[in-house]
Amino acid sequence: MRFQRLPSIGAGVMILARVAAVAAALLTGGLAFALAGFDVPELAGAVISASLGTAFGLEDLGLLATPLILTGLAAAVCLRIGLWNIGGEGQFYAGAIIASLVGLQLQGPPALMLPLMALAGFAGGMAWILLPALARAYLAIDEIITTLLLNFVAVLLVNYLCTGPMRDPHQAVTAASAHVPYEIPAMIDDLHLGLAVAVLLVVLAALALGRTGWGFEVRVAGANRHAANYAGMGVRRRLLQTMLLSGGIAGLAGMLEVAGTVHRLQGGISNNYGYLGIIVAVLAGGAPIAVLPAAALMALLLNGGIVLQSYGVSSYDVLALTGLVLLFIAVGEQLAYYRPAARPAIAPKPAPPLEHAR
Amino acid sequence: MNGRLPRRDLLTLAGLSAGGLVLPRGIAPARAAGLFPPVAEDKAVIAMGYVGPTSDEGWSFSHRQGLLAVKAAYPKARYLEVETIPYSADATRTFRQFVAQGANIVFLNSEYGDLLHAVSDKAKGVAWMECDGHSLGPNRGWFYVKHWQPSYVTGVAAGLMSKTGKLGYVGSMPVPTVFSGVNAFLMGARSVRPDATMQVILINSWFDPQAAAQAGTALIDNGCDLLFGVMDEAAYLQVAEKRGVPAVMWNTDVRRYGPKSYVSSIVLDWTKFYVGQAGARLDGTWQAGQQVLLGMGEGVDRDAWGESVPEPVRRQADAVRTRMLGGWNPFVGEIKDIDGKVRVAKGETMSDMDMYGCSWPMAGVSGLKVG
Repeated sequence: MRFQRLPSIGAGVMILARVAAVAAALLTGGLAFALAGFDVPELAGAVISASLGTAFGLEDLGLLATPLILTGLAAAVCLRIGLWNIGGEGQFYAGAIIASLVGLQLQGPPALMLPLMALAGFAGGMAWILLPALARAYLAIDEIITTLLLNFVAVLLVNYLCTGPMRDPHQAVTAASAHVPYEIPAMIDDLHLGLAVAVLLVVLAALALGRTGWGFEVRVAGANRHAANYAGMGVRRRLLQTMLLSGGIAGLAGMLEVAGTVHRLQGGISNNYGYLGIIVAVLAGGAPIAVLPAAALMALLLNGGIVLQSYGVSSYDVLALTGLVLLFIAVGEQLAYYRPAARPAIAPKPAPPLEHAR
Repeated sequence: MNGRLPRRDLLTLAGLSAGGLVLPRGIAPARAAGLFPPVAEDKAVIAMGYVGPTSDEGWSFSHRQGLLAVKAAYPKARYLEVETIPYSADATRTFRQFVAQGANIVFLNSEYGDLLHAVSDKAKGVAWMECDGHSLGPNRGWFYVKHWQPSYVTGVAAGLMSKTGKLGYVGSMPVPTVFSGVNAFLMGARSVRPDATMQVILINSWFDPQAAAQAGTALIDNGCDLLFGVMDEAAYLQVAEKRGVPAVMWNTDVRRYGPKSYVSSIVLDWTKFYVGQAGARLDGTWQAGQQVLLGMGEGVDRDAWGESVPEPVRRQADAVRTRMLGGWNPFVGEIKDIDGKVRVAKGETMSDMDMYGCSWPMAGVSGLKVG
């Protein structure tokens, strides 16, 4: 049996591959849990009913999906121009820092303060990616390394601020800033408006990238930088704009987390959302609108993990199960490009040796 | 003599209440009783959230031992356990999960503050007990141990065993447990060796074996010849063993990771406390607003001395321990902080609540600032 690789596949095939991959991963994981003595149907039922079967579970999913949508969108936007923003984590923290500073230092009505904090968070994320963006645009320095390394700087900066100048001395076991008094209003019960903001941003980004001249230039620059340059598209400027937009979106995620759920600046507030966002973007194939289902799936996996833990599954097994799902999806995505060849594929004729021109 | 102390025998519920079960004014027990009616054992759901992995052989492990005792006492109840709960929105999610699954009482082995209150303020019928917590509510209380007492006792041993008088401390963050632990240990050491000093390295985590091992190495490289710390696990003991330096640990008996270095441990036993709390919740007598500090001999103590602790050192430190068990408070002024400011005037003593909320390192400490 031979297989051939197709140059492109339809969205239906891709979706089928994803679903099959998730099913295969859960079956594999379920088998392992069954061997370890767990009642797998009970566990599966618990995860589904706790995450999708109750208003409470759906709210939790929404809360978890909010930052994932934004960090996923941040990475996806950069992917459109062919760049990897690995620094979502750092930009998230930078956004959280600036937004908390604004919330703690300034006073005003929440209707003014919350948009101001959002702008501050966006600006913080932009500031954190500025250096990698300039280095990429003018010096062609690999953005993967620079954005990644700045994550560690951001974590250390947060830890410094929380144990030093911004520390709330009334915290007993962890270092955190004082309580930020401005809270994002709730949409439904515990689910704050941040989810609506995130979804709106996805739609706006999808429209900007898909339906405007600017978005066209970004995509052309992503597909072939030289062609874009040749067409006079101002690649350098598009590169800078896209990276700054990406950083800003991740920074906004940091602001939403401060003003929406945690209400303090503290180490660990990012919960790895920056890194998980990269996975979300990859699952979405870099398409902004596909970030929504990808983030929802990721949120379901992570939330399911918490449910599983309360049933006695160790946190490490949960992590392994999450990894298994993502691995299967990545493999499934590649396999989707192959189909059994109807007949033995014709081997390409070896090219005739080039004759040296004299 | 190397026998373990009869901690469990000392630990009675009577002792527990004598040891510091305080009901603050304003939270009427009668009101609480209405909120928390009795629950049949086979209908009860008891939840425990751990800040670290329960396999840490330290902090979270010790709390799990407590929960296992509850399981043994009330085998028909349903139990929910989640480990490694981070200080992020994941904590809130986990607590909501406990509520959704019908928990009657939830124990948390760390302070989660706002992340908890976001859930507990809405889940009024659920009883919440927060370890090392600092706020109370109509369905919430906190509990902790007077770890400064055995820290003082082991500090006496450290002062006698150190040759240079330079002690090292592997700490987490600038929080009260670190300040009071450092101060009590150094006060104990200075009671027998007035020139003792203590260098602190904070690693910004309660569970990071690699960073703890690096901090331990750095302290020994700087000339410290005895280590103390407050880690959830035993990494710096292994460093101490390799470098031939004695070490005082926390949480559990971890001497197998460094039998020669092991001096003792601020050893924890939550079993009586957790069994008592769960029992009270089941029979409808659980009260909100409890502030429980378990004293030496009631839930915290020094561990049996390590093999390398000389007999005279054991005798001298244990004599101090006996005095303290008899009610003597060694935390007496004058005590100056690291900036030279007098914090406790001559003749004044530091109460348990002073120690519990301590926010300053005493003179002789380096590597910490006034919080």
